[in-house]
Amino acid sequence: MSDTTKAKPASTPQGFFDKHYHVLRRLHSLTGIVPIGVFLIAHLTTNSSLLWGKWGLRHEGHDETIVSGGVHYFWKEVQWINNQIPHLLLIEIGLWLAIAFHSVLGVYYARSGKSNTARYAYQGNWRYRMQRLSGYVALLYIFYHIATLRWGWSFLVPGGAKWSADFAASTLAAALRGSNEGFTAMGIAVSLFYFVGITASVYHFANGLWTAAITWGLTISQQAQQRWGFASFALGVGLMGMAWASLAGALLTKPSEMQRIELQLLQEKGKGGAMPGEGAALVDATPLVNVPSDPEGTQPAAGGS
Amino acid sequence: MIQTLTSTSSAALAASNRRIAKQGRTVQVSIKRCDGPNKPSRWETFKVTTERGMNVISALMQIAANPTTIDGKQTTPPVWDSGCLEEVCGSCTMVINGKVRQSCSCLLDDYVPNEGDTLTLEPMSKFPVIRDLWVDRERLFHNLKRVKAWVPIDGTYSLGAGPRETPAKQETRYKLSECMSCGCCLEACPQFNVEEDKAQWDTSFIGAHAISQARLFNEHETGKQLKDERIDVLMGPGGVNDCGNAQNCVKVCPKHIPLTESIAAIGRAVTIRSFVKFFKG
Ligand code: HEM
Ligand code: SF4
Ligand code: SF4
Ligand code: FES
Repeated sequence: MSDTTKAKPASTPQGFFDKHYHVLRRLHSLTGIVPIGVFLIAHLTTNSSLLWGKWGLRHEGHDETIVSGGVHYFWKEVQWINNQIPHLLLIEIGLWLAIAFHSVLGVYYARSGKSNTARYAYQGNWRYRMQRLSGYVALLYIFYHIATLRWGWSFLVPGGAKWSADFAASTLAAALRGSNEGFTAMGIAVSLFYFVGITASVYHFANGLWTAAITWGLTISQQAQQRWGFASFALGVGLMGMAWASLAGALLTKPSEMQRIELQLLQEKGKGGAMPGEGAALVDATPLVNVPSDPEGTQPAAGGS
Repeated sequence: MIQTLTSTSSAALAASNRRIAKQGRTVQVSIKRCDGPNKPSRWETFKVTTERGMNVISALMQIAANPTTIDGKQTTPPVWDSGCLEEVCGSCTMVINGKVRQSCSCLLDDYVPNEGDTLTLEPMSKFPVIRDLWVDRERLFHNLKRVKAWVPIDGTYSLGAGPRETPAKQETRYKLSECMSCGCCLEACPQFNVEEDKAQWDTSFIGAHAISQARLFNEHETGKQLKDERIDVLMGPGGVNDCGNAQNCVKVCPKHIPLTESIAAIGRAVTIRSFVKFFKG
């Protein structure tokens, strides 16, 4: 074998990948689950409250509609995340780094294979292909999602809405619709992109959970792999339901209507009613509630959800 | 037995094809021809008159005896590799109607039951072609050497009887030992791709067959002496972590070797070894 082995200089990227091959591979697998996958579960739970919030608030004696309960519960969750979690920004940066790491290596690994589903149209082979495709889609989607809603790159948002924690649901909905009222053409495109993006992300995570158990050697026998396959599938179906519920919750109500509810919440909590930054222009056209003047900072809290 | 038509529907299809096939019919065989390494390839189609129980090798022999294409063009006899003619040596492996399998166990009645049906034959695409349907599987054997797929007993004096094997282990290993190094699992694997530069072989994906053979010898009471060396190779570049879990290998393996179980078992061994190395040095 020695005659076929040529030592490569260790300074090349190839050399770096080869030297730390195993650790990088397994860190890639691990980051897909912790923290990214775990965050995905928490994130979809929060976001889907836009649809199930009404029931979440019942024990507090509220009797709300699905829409007001959803906006209310989601608003509470987002407020909690932004005000109660210590070092939120540090946690977020850790998460972004993990996503960047997993994505860069993911693209590198995905490019090392050559799909052959045309010849070998087995289910497993399709899952393999979709795992790579959904990775690429998730990469584009997650980048757009974070850049627009978290980093405030509103030039990428049709209608220019800027997300704010005080107007969590309405600014999200406005970013999806492209306006504070009906859907614009670009808004429909963004909403469809969201649908494809979250669907790909959930598939990718669920299938990744299944393959990760093989990678680490947790499931060995065919039966064990199959059992874990069912479990991953069930988790995937549940998460897909939550992902679609989140999107439905964000799309089914007009942002202006959501904003009316949020203004009430802000007034009740004594936070006054700061209009969301860039989205304000959209709102001003249709004043729905009289906004009391706000002595303390008029800037809405920015933060993640 | 149709061993590589793995899904029940295609096995059933093969059986029903066999029932309707009439002997003495004329079928066409399209062959992807290539005159030598790195030469361009071309397709040529021949007529074959079927005989009872005819397999692809006997069809090729008929063509070689009179290498005239359906357009009446005289050509060279097609070249192929074969040995045992009973699906145990693996040398006759080729791509038949788009899927990899052994040609000696491939019956024409199963694939082309009607007058005028066409069968296509191609060399495997993951190995360099020597000529026509004959490929060079050197990399497959090289990869077996990478994991030291043998039992280390060579020496200058008798080592006496080896340790005892339990029947349970024997049973696991028996299935793995049936590998005939045919290359089907590599041909169908999306992660195993052509590597012309031999210097890259030691860091390119090793393939399901070698992973499974490493498990076979790691489970052997004497073979396990080399266990750590094997696992270290499989932990490195081109090792088991390169597998993307498409699981095509297990679908196409003519010996029904539980390759995906071997991949997971080696994955576990690699996990454990990396922790041991981390803490023990
Ligand atoms: C929603 C965010 C993401 C989550 C939750 C996630 C999760 C996972 C998990 C759990 C695995 C399984 C690891 C294994 O089989 O050992 C995985 C594999 C993979 N991911 Fe991601 N991932 C995400 C985003 C991405 C992105 C943006 C890419 C970039 C293209 C990507 C590319 C890949 C690839 C190629 C694999 C297969 C690796 C292999 O089999 O060797 N993933 N992912
Ligand atoms: S594992 Fe199966 S498909 Fe692969 S070389 Fe061995 S017998 Fe052939
Ligand atoms: S499971 Fe791994 S070795 Fe088998 S075909 Fe898929 S990628 Fe190749
Ligand atoms: S000739 Fe040996 S397997 Fe076909």
